[in-house]
Amino acid sequence: MNVLEIKGIAKTFTTGKSKTKVLDNVSFDVGTDEFVCIVGPSGCGKSTLLRIIAGLEKSDSGMILFHGKPQASPTPKITMIFQLFGLLPWKTALENIEVPLEVLGLKKEERVRIAKQHLKMVGLEGFEDTYPHDLSGGMKQRVGIARALALQPEVLLMDEPFSSLDELTAKASRSLVLEIWRDPSLPTNTFIMVSHNVEEAVFMADRVIVMSPRPGKVVGEVKIDILRPRTSYLRENVYFKHIDEVLAILEKGKEHVETQNTTGR
Amino acid sequence: MLIVMWFRWCMQLRRYVIGFLAGLVALYVFFWLIATFVKYPEIKHLPLYTFSTVGRIVVTLVISIIWGVLFGILAATNKAASIILVPFIDLLQSIPILGYFPVVIAFLFSLGSFGVELSIIVLLFTSMAWSIFFGVVGAIHAIPVNILESAQSFGLKGWKYIRHVVLPAIAPAIVASSNLAWCDGWFFIIAAEYIQYKGEVVQPPSGGLGYLLAKAAYEYKDITLSVVLLVLITFMVVYFNFLTWHKLMERASTGTFKPVLKIELSGVGKLGIARATRRLHFGERLHWPRSLFVASQRLRRYARIEKAIVIILSLSTVTVILYSLIGQFPSFEIVQRGFSSPPARELGVLPLLIALTMGRLTIAYGISLIFAIGMGVLAAEHKRFAAIFYPLYDIGQGVPILALFPVLFLTLNQVFNSGVALEITCITMLVLDMIWYMFLNIVSAVKNIPTEIKEVGQLFGFKGIKRITHIVVPSILPSIVTGSILSWGTGWNTIIFAEYMPSTEPTIPPLSILGLGSLLDKAGYEYGNTVLLIFLLGVVATIVLSMEAFVWRRLLRKFEKYHVEV
Repeated sequence: MNVLEIKGIAKTFTTGKSKTKVLDNVSFDVGTDEFVCIVGPSGCGKSTLLRIIAGLEKSDSGMILFHGKPQASPTPKITMIFQLFGLLPWKTALENIEVPLEVLGLKKEERVRIAKQHLKMVGLEGFEDTYPHDLSGGMKQRVGIARALALQPEVLLMDEPFSSLDELTAKASRSLVLEIWRDPSLPTNTFIMVSHNVEEAVFMADRVIVMSPRPGKVVGEVKIDILRPRTSYLRENVYFKHIDEVLAILEKGKEHVETQNTTGR
Repeated sequence: MLIVMWFRWCMQLRRYVIGFLAGLVALYVFFWLIATFVKYPEIKHLPLYTFSTVGRIVVTLVISIIWGVLFGILAATNKAASIILVPFIDLLQSIPILGYFPVVIAFLFSLGSFGVELSIIVLLFTSMAWSIFFGVVGAIHAIPVNILESAQSFGLKGWKYIRHVVLPAIAPAIVASSNLAWCDGWFFIIAAEYIQYKGEVVQPPSGGLGYLLAKAAYEYKDITLSVVLLVLITFMVVYFNFLTWHKLMERASTGTFKPVLKIELSGVGKLGIARATRRLHFGERLHWPRSLFVASQRLRRYARIEKAIVIILSLSTVTVILYSLIGQFPSFEIVQRGFSSPPARELGVLPLLIALTMGRLTIAYGISLIFAIGMGVLAAEHKRFAAIFYPLYDIGQGVPILALFPVLFLTLNQVFNSGVALEITCITMLVLDMIWYMFLNIVSAVKNIPTEIKEVGQLFGFKGIKRITHIVVPSILPSIVTGSILSWGTGWNTIIFAEYMPSTEPTIPPLSILGLGSLLDKAGYEYGNTVLLIFLLGVVATIVLSMEAFVWRRLLRKFEKYHVEV
C-alpha cells in the first residue's frame, strides 16, 4: 500500500523575465514504513520537490496523493525537519515544540506534557527553558525532530538534515533518526530524506531515488537491500556496490542533460 | 549584436534626454506660473534662488565627498587615526545643526557676504558629511579578508593598494552615501539658509529656496506660497534622483562583493540591514537607508568608561575650538556671564523642560512605531501597498519637513489657540520625521525574515494575527530597535525646530512651547548665548547617550538571541 504517490510534478520559477524550470515530470511512489532518499546534484530541485510534498510550494502540474487523495496544503500528518532546523529563536526549546500544538488547539497542560515527553525522547531533558541560541547544532536539530514528532505525523520529510552538522554529530543524529523510524510505538514510519551525500543515502535508505541536474527528473532508483543495522556493513563490498550504482546513475543523468543542452542549441 | 547594443544605448539616452528636457520645461512652467500669480518682490528671483540652492548643495556635496573619502580611508586603514577620528566624528554627527551655530557666527561677522555663503555651506556640511565618512569606513571594513590577504600577497601597498583595492571596493558606498548626504542637504536646507542671530534674519546674498520658503512661511505667513515652494523642492529632489542617483546606484551596485551599507551590530546586522541593502529593490529602483551606519557607529561597543572619557575629551576639544574661532578663550568669567544672562533663568526648571520634551518625543515615537509597523508589514508583503508607501517614503526622506511647520501651525491656529496648535504641530512634525527610519527598517526586516522561519509558520498553519505575533514581530524586533535609535536621533534634531516658531517682527515675540528644544532656540537664535547653548547641547548629548546605554543597548542584547543563523 502506497502512502504517497508523486505524480508528474513540474515546477518553473519565474524571477522578473527569466524562467527557470527546476522540476520536470517527477513521479514515484512511497510505501508504508519505507525510508526513501532522494539524491541529486545541487540545484536539481530536490528541496523544491520536498516542499511541494509538504504543501509549502504549489506545483505547476501533477499532484501529490496522500493515501490516494490529493494533498496540496500543509497537514500535520506530513511534517518536515529543516536543514537549518527552523527553530523560532524567540522561543525556548519547550515552546518551540508547543507552538504547532497550539495551532492545533491543544490546551496548555496537554501541550507542555507532549512537548516534555518528546524532548525527553530526543535526549534533551533539562533543556526545556533553553533558547536555540544557546543550543549546539545537534541539539537544535533534535529539538526540530521532537517538534515534528510531537504532531504524530505519518510521513516525516527531511531536507538535508545532516549537512550543517559536523561528522560526529551527524553520525549520532543519523542513528537517532533510524531509531525513530524503526520504533514501532511511534506512528511516524514513512521517511523521505533529501541528500546530496550518496554514502549517507545508501547507509540510511531502503530505496535511493536519483535525480538529474536541472530541470530535475527521476533518472533511476536503487533498492538498497543491505541488512539493518548497517553499521557492520560499512566496510563491506555490498555497501560500496550500492554506492557505485547510485553514482553511475548520477553520472548518466548528468551526461543526458548535457547532450540535451548541446543538441538543443 | 553591436548594433543592438548601440540601439539600446540610444534608446536609453533618448529616454534620459527626454526626461531631462521635460524636467526643465516643467521647471520653467512652474516659475512662470508662480511669477504670474504670486506678487512678492523675491519671486522674480526664483530661478536664481533655485540655482543658488542647488549650487550650494552640489558644492557642499563635492566638499563632503572629498573630505569623507579622505578621512574615511584614513580612519579605516590607520589604527591610530581611527582611535581619534571615529569617536570624534561620531560625536560631531550627533550634534544637532544648531550646535554648529557658534562657528557660523564667527564667519558671519568676520567675512561679510562671503561669510554668509560660507556659513550656509558649513551648516550644510555638518548635516551632509558624516554619512559619507561612515559609509566609507563601513565599506572598507566590509572588504572580505581574503581579498585583503590576496592583495597583500601580491605586494600591493600604499597608493596602489588604495587605487586597486580600496577605491573600487568603496565606490558603491560613496555613491549610496552621497545620495543620503544629498537628501540630508535638502532636508536641512531651511535650517541652513535661514540663519537668525539675536532675532535678526541674515539674508543670503544670492537668496535660496530654503530662505524663500522660510520667509514665505514665517514672515509672509502665506500658506499657499509655502505649499507651492514645498512642491517645487519635492520636484527638485525627485527630478535629480531620476537624473543621476538611480542610474548611478544601479551601476555602482553591480560587481561588488558586499552590501554597501552595513550595520556592525552583532545579531542585528544579518537580520536587518546588511542583506536588506542588497535586496531592497523598491520597484525598479535601489534605495538606501539614510545613515543607517550612523547607528552602527554609535553602538559599537566601547566600554562605558572609555566612551565617557572620549566624550569629555571631545567636548572640551570642541569647546576650545569654538572659542578660539570666535577669538575668546573660555575663562570662568565668560562662563559665569553665560549662565547669568537670559535665558539662563529658565535653567531652574530644567528637569520639567526635559520631561516635557521627552514626553513629546515619546508620544511621537509611539505613534511612529505603530504606524511604521502597520505600513512596513503591509508594504513588505503586498505589492499594492508598496506602490503607495514607497513613493511616500521617497518624498518623506528628502523633502524639508521643517517647511511644513509654519504651514501646519497657521492652519491649526485657526481652530485652536496658539499653545495647543503649536503642541499638535510639534508632535506631527516629530512623527513625520521619525516614522521613516522605522518604516524602512521594518520593511527590510520583514523582507529578510529567513525563508525557513516563514516555512515553519506555513507548515504549522500560522495564519492572520497568530502569524504576526508569533512569527513576524519577533523576527523584526532587532530591526525595530535599530530603527528606534535612528528615530530618536533624528527626533532630537527636529525637536529644536519644532518647539519654536520664530517671529521676524520686533513687536511680536516668537512663539514657543516649554521644552528643552525651545530653550536651545532661545539661547541660540534669540540671545546668542553661546555658553548656555553649549551647556544645553551637553544635556541633550547626555540624554541621548544614556538612553542608548540603558535602553537600546540592553534591548539589543536581549534580542540578540532572536537572530537566526543562515
